Amino acid sequence: MTRTSRTGPGFLVYGLLAAFFVGSAFPLYWSFVIGSVTRQRAGENPPPLTPGGHFFENAARVFDRIDFWSALANSVIVSGVSAFSVVLFSTLAGYSFAKLRFRGANAAMVFVILTMAVPTQLALIPLLKEFSNLGLTGTHAAVILPWLVTAFGVFFMRQYLVDAIPDELIDAARVDGCSMIRTFWTVAVPAARPAMAILGLFTFMQVWTDFMWPLLVLQGSDVQTLQTALDQLKIAPGQGLSDMALLQAGTILATVPLLLLFIATGRQLVAGIMQGAVKG
Amino acid sequence: MRKNLSWRKGLALGAVATLVVGVTAACGSSGGSDTAQKSLGKNDTLTITTFGDFGYGDLIKKWNADPDRPFKVHETQIAEWDTWKQTLTSDLQAGTGLTDIVAIEGDAMPQFLADGASDQFVDLSDSSLDNRWVDYKAKAGQTTDGKQIGYPTDAGPEAVCYRADLFKKAGLPTDRAQVAKLFDTWDDYFKTGQEFVKKVPGTKWYDSSGSIAQAMLNQAKYPFQTKDQKVDVDNPDLKQVYDTVAKYADTLSTKAVQWSDDWQANFTDNGFATMPCPGWMFANIKSSAPKVKGWDIADAFPGGGGNWGGSFLAVPTQSKHQDEAKQFANWLTDQAQEVGAFEKAGAYPANIAAEEQLSKSAKPDPYFNNAPTAQILANRAKAVEPDLPFKGDKYSDILGLFQTAIQRVDEGKSPESSWKTFVQAVSQLS
Amino acid sequence: MSDHAPATLGGTGRTSTSRSGQAPPAGVPSPDHRDMRRTPARLTLRQRLSRWDMKVSPYLYVLPFFLVFLVIGLYPMVYTGYLSFFSWPRFGAGHGPWVGWENYSHVLKDPVFHKAFWNTIGIFLLSSVPQVIVATVVAALLDTNLRGRTWWRMSVLLPFVVAPAAAALIFGALFADKSGLVNDVLSGIGLPTVQWHANRPASWLAIATMVNWRWTGYNALIILAAMQAIPRDLYEAASIDGASRVKQFLFVTLPSIRPTMIFVIITSTIGGLQIFTEPRLFDTNLQHQGGSSYEYQTLTMYVFNTANSSTNPYPRAAAAAWILFLIIVAFALVNFAITRAVQKRSHA
Repeated sequence: MTRTSRTGPGFLVYGLLAAFFVGSAFPLYWSFVIGSVTRQRAGENPPPLTPGGHFFENAARVFDRIDFWSALANSVIVSGVSAFSVVLFSTLAGYSFAKLRFRGANAAMVFVILTMAVPTQLALIPLLKEFSNLGLTGTHAAVILPWLVTAFGVFFMRQYLVDAIPDELIDAARVDGCSMIRTFWTVAVPAARPAMAILGLFTFMQVWTDFMWPLLVLQGSDVQTLQTALDQLKIAPGQGLSDMALLQAGTILATVPLLLLFIATGRQLVAGIMQGAVKG
Repeated sequence: MRKNLSWRKGLALGAVATLVVGVTAACGSSGGSDTAQKSLGKNDTLTITTFGDFGYGDLIKKWNADPDRPFKVHETQIAEWDTWKQTLTSDLQAGTGLTDIVAIEGDAMPQFLADGASDQFVDLSDSSLDNRWVDYKAKAGQTTDGKQIGYPTDAGPEAVCYRADLFKKAGLPTDRAQVAKLFDTWDDYFKTGQEFVKKVPGTKWYDSSGSIAQAMLNQAKYPFQTKDQKVDVDNPDLKQVYDTVAKYADTLSTKAVQWSDDWQANFTDNGFATMPCPGWMFANIKSSAPKVKGWDIADAFPGGGGNWGGSFLAVPTQSKHQDEAKQFANWLTDQAQEVGAFEKAGAYPANIAAEEQLSKSAKPDPYFNNAPTAQILANRAKAVEPDLPFKGDKYSDILGLFQTAIQRVDEGKSPESSWKTFVQAVSQLS
Repeated sequence: MSDHAPATLGGTGRTSTSRSGQAPPAGVPSPDHRDMRRTPARLTLRQRLSRWDMKVSPYLYVLPFFLVFLVIGLYPMVYTGYLSFFSWPRFGAGHGPWVGWENYSHVLKDPVFHKAFWNTIGIFLLSSVPQVIVATVVAALLDTNLRGRTWWRMSVLLPFVVAPAAAALIFGALFADKSGLVNDVLSGIGLPTVQWHANRPASWLAIATMVNWRWTGYNALIILAAMQAIPRDLYEAASIDGASRVKQFLFVTLPSIRPTMIFVIITSTIGGLQIFTEPRLFDTNLQHQGGSSYEYQTLTMYVFNTANSSTNPYPRAAAAAWILFLIIVAFALVNFAITRAVQKRSHA
């Protein structure tokens, strides 16, 4: 993946990206700043702009107030399973739509896209009823089920794969006598890896930050995700204003796993798989 | 080929749709699921959901620690009423998913008392509880035909909080007994305000037009709906409240919306000098302006009494443990527990015996210049007229639209056009 | 050729030419090149299995999506459609009698609904259009030989890890009408301050800013992934022909990522018309009406508020949701048609 034909980018590119970075990162930084000062300082005007030295104190108070580790485990489970499932099924379906010919494919694809236009707010009540009848409320499955495979994922994979895999590769595999699933595994999956990484990352983050649905289906049970647990930090004992330092420290703690995931996924994204596949 | 595809698509969709409609029709219409009651053993759990801080944490811990307890209790806390209301609404309409006891916010209570909604809750009437709570609060938890849907957990009798330091600057009296005399009627209140803003430019008289409007209209008999639930907002009482608040918006009000960033900022930059003050507001002032010195509380409220907020505990018919739920809601709203919740979370009791106990042991609050807070609130609770205002089934909805109409005036729209929008929006409610 | 959705959705000439020669009409016993080498009369078990595999696999691969959709998407959709013709007592657990199209006509006659429609369009245009453009540019910048590439790439996703409520806190502080930072800056440089929550276009701009902040990096990464899949020899050929960077971008990069661009445009159209979180968090009106004069109430907020209103809440919201669905579909179709026309022209 060396691009000898193109020289390194100039000062302008770094400048623009740096500006974009500052804008992107500032709220997260500020969240950390508030999470690292005392409760009093967090409420003062003008607000603090540089970190204080109280992050670990605040973090300790977070661990004191909520069952952080069990919520973390639950969030990892629901986000992880969802991301895995979305990636697997979306890649399969996207590959089928992009590269395999079958009757009704066009209509089905249009249908998939249209399903994204369904407003989700209203689905809550019938879904809740359905899940409750199935005895799913209060379980991990209730949170995961709506995320098994998404129209977004299928459409994304289809659009990515339609050009990313040359048909010759598939033909070659079939001529070699590979079964359909083996062709998928040896040709499509390697080509799809960057897109799979992105889709997995997006899904993981979406499920991770989802609040209303888990709240609805996990209510009254001991299973809590990080977001529903963090909600408790907003409660100011004795009413009054929320403890912003505590709240932001909790937010940062809940974000760290996502940042770690970034680092892990980043490599996948950068590795240029395609070139190798075409040549090999 | 295209025809062929759409034909197939149509057929497939049709088949699926028929299937689903079939399923839906089979389970759709009747929400009355079976609620076969199961009694709870010592190690079974009763569930309750509250929002914000009800101060129940330690009480429930104590209950669970008692070896002779009849059952265990698990509390779910949700930070904000808005979030909880949404969940509660979804669960009521789905006919499933609620805990055995649910907490309901006071100003939202009337809509849960309406026909249809009240059928979703257990009648908690119990003659042994007569006179346990202040009359106006007990009534606020009842339907028109006398079903007790909610047990009052706390009450929000309103006093007036004021900044003695700014009063001094304006040459007004600062002592709370003398200040109270300035707040006898609304006319007195506004007149003093006009004097004040002349002397202290840059500081407004009250925190928001909305809080004043709500206080005033709650002293009217039928602000929004007539006795037979007919919506009538074009009545002189309501119009008078509106005109008064609109008239003073420019001179006396900060024009900030309650709870907004601007409203919050006014606490620390001398934005205003007075505000209507239910007991739960005390904690809010303290944490909004921890360094401001000069807050005090006058034992008075213009035009009589007023109540703002205070919640209820209700038992949905979905619950499979209605008897136990009733028993526990009863326990939580008894004297000792309401006192405990007050000490923990500042929720001023609706329980009369609890109020008396607190006002006897009245501790002065140093933040509020050693005001005897509990005693002031007990006096304020007595001033609330139990039958004012009449809260019909659409009370909360219309109140919200009314507050929004005031907000429009605050933002510079003409009072006439804003009123028109309000009347139009109210007509959309039915 | 133009009959194929794949072509409309942007399969480029690079693959579709080779495909059209090879693709058998689906399902029909295919004159596959392997079959032609054999006597057609007798098929071995292995061959029959293979053929069966070929026929069934495509359906099998898309099946999970449709199964999940049946349970999660279609059922609620049909259910809400059915209920939109009934009355429903507030907070009741079941519907009342049949009311016909009454709920639909209530929604369509509601002036707030009309206002919400235009608000949605306004916010949508102010967010989606600049967002797609900036995302493409950022992706192009990221698709260069940067030092510390991984870090730069991941950094554009940072807004997405910040919980929306935390972001709202910051934007609330920025756009507060009196005490906000933006107004401080404006008055600092001698400009008049803006009533961000009471001025309709200004509120749209503020909300669009929140939306763009959150989603631009997200779209940039999607586009970047497509750019990564462009064979590098295309660039080499172009640069040998003496094409400048900008020309390479316009004539190599953009055409090659067309399917993904279509994806981004369609998803941000659909997402843009369903905008909810940002305006709701931006709202200071205590009844969540999207500003006191509904300045920035969007269609999804309308659906949501209707579901909490006093008369037939759920059926009316269901009717509004169905109307919204049809509006979005109409937009998506228009979008589709435009994209297709543009594409045809560029093919010609």
